[in-house]
Amino acid sequence: MKRLVVFLAFVAGSATLLDAGGQSLESRLKQLFPAATSFSPKEGDPPHFTAYTGGSTSKTVIGYAAWTTEILPLERGYGGPIAMLLGLDTSGKITGVIVGEHHEPYGDFSIDPPKFAAMFRNKDVRDPFKLGEDIDAVSRATITMSSAVRAIRNSSRRMARQFLTAPTPPSK
Amino acid sequence: MTARARTARWRSFLILLGVVVMSSWVVAAQPPGGGTTGPPGGGFDFPEEEEEAPSWSDDIRAQAVDIGLVVAFSALAFTSFFRKSVTLKYVTLVASVVYIGFWKSTLLSIVNVFGLFGGNLPIFRYSLAWYLLAAITVVSTILWGRVYCGRICAFGALTQLMDRVLPAKWRFNVPRAIERRASLIKYGILGATIVYFIITGNPGIYPYVEPFWLFGLHLRTPVLLTMLVSLLIATVFVRNLYCRFLCPLGAFLGVLSKLTVFRIKRWSECKTCKICEKACEWGAIRGPEIIMTECVRCDDCERLYEDTKKCPHHLIIIRKADILARRAASPTPAS
Repeated sequence: MKRLVVFLAFVAGSATLLDAGGQSLESRLKQLFPAATSFSPKEGDPPHFTAYTGGSTSKTVIGYAAWTTEILPLERGYGGPIAMLLGLDTSGKITGVIVGEHHEPYGDFSIDPPKFAAMFRNKDVRDPFKLGEDIDAVSRATITMSSAVRAIRNSSRRMARQFLTAPTPPSK
Repeated sequence: MTARARTARWRSFLILLGVVVMSSWVVAAQPPGGGTTGPPGGGFDFPEEEEEAPSWSDDIRAQAVDIGLVVAFSALAFTSFFRKSVTLKYVTLVASVVYIGFWKSTLLSIVNVFGLFGGNLPIFRYSLAWYLLAAITVVSTILWGRVYCGRICAFGALTQLMDRVLPAKWRFNVPRAIERRASLIKYGILGATIVYFIITGNPGIYPYVEPFWLFGLHLRTPVLLTMLVSLLIATVFVRNLYCRFLCPLGAFLGVLSKLTVFRIKRWSECKTCKICEKACEWGAIRGPEIIMTECVRCDDCERLYEDTKKCPHHLIIIRKADILARRAASPTPAS
């Protein structure tokens, strides 16, 4: 009897968890690059989307977006990988972070609140990305937070290295 | 042990604790070593992530405070365990609720059991404190039994403190026969959640079978809050209800504790005596046997074994010695 109750609780619980679906990819990319007029399909290595402005005849690249989990498949938090869509403009600044699917037990008060993603907007890939320094730490969610920050830092740097050309030559 | 020797030991233990905590602060406060500064110039020519990641000593330094606190807390827990001290046990329980519970929420969870099945444990290098706690849990469970459940787990500590504070007359003692069956429910929950996880690949079931999120109170859906409140109300009347009957992680450790190396000793008198069986808050004693899967090493029975005024083992020895002494004193045989 008790087991039955527990089982029913499982079913109810999983149903509520499953229908918490996300928005479409298109609207997420648009959120990262509001000025973009078109996006490439996912392509290349590491897999990424390219954001363009202008008409179909004179397209200009304004930035790149990619899933952190596709750039760094080995990175994981407390309950597995944390998928985040990351936008990077051509000057090496993060245009935004959208937290997607993850199974972090303490995610809802660490990486899910908009406050988390907002910390990375306009951050330069050359910034230190250190918890407790330029990124606020969240008590009770150290493993989740440090994994997410590592994923954003290393993914954005990898993207910058791969897709961008330095605006100024190295000083030395 | 004399009182003075005891105070001296106490003092050295406290000093040791202090040293561990202080040194971890000092290590954490060291400036990071060279070679980990940002990339040169304004370019994007970052080296590979693997090379660029901070060195091991930087990673350890960043986690030193957490590691030190886990060491200090475990030292406290195991000192209370080895000294069979009631006072220290309650100090440990309060420390557990504060540190493991509300401050860090580093309770082990069924999510970690899922991780064992799905290969999704946190990355070792960046989660040293967590791995230390997990290793202490697994090793101590194999050596002594579910010590984790009895003193380290913050929810178990909370319900044990509740039991201590609430009036005993409110308590409802579950009949033995029901208790025995109810203690199997947790294994059912463990099996069901693992099957659920393997089928769906989603560990999101955890808040429905574990109330540990109460320490962050972050999942405030009506269903979950109702479940949590009813569990806490039920715990007022049935002590340690969750730990004894429902906890899937406890069930997992219970399976591990089948291997227990150092078991609680029993006297030959335990075959007939029921004092410990009645005293056991966890329903872990059935006749002469201690059920290791239910025992959380609370020490209640072990303290009774050593009580020369209560344990029949000592009473019989004392009585025998007494009779022999009386016989020796009066040479005339008793009529």
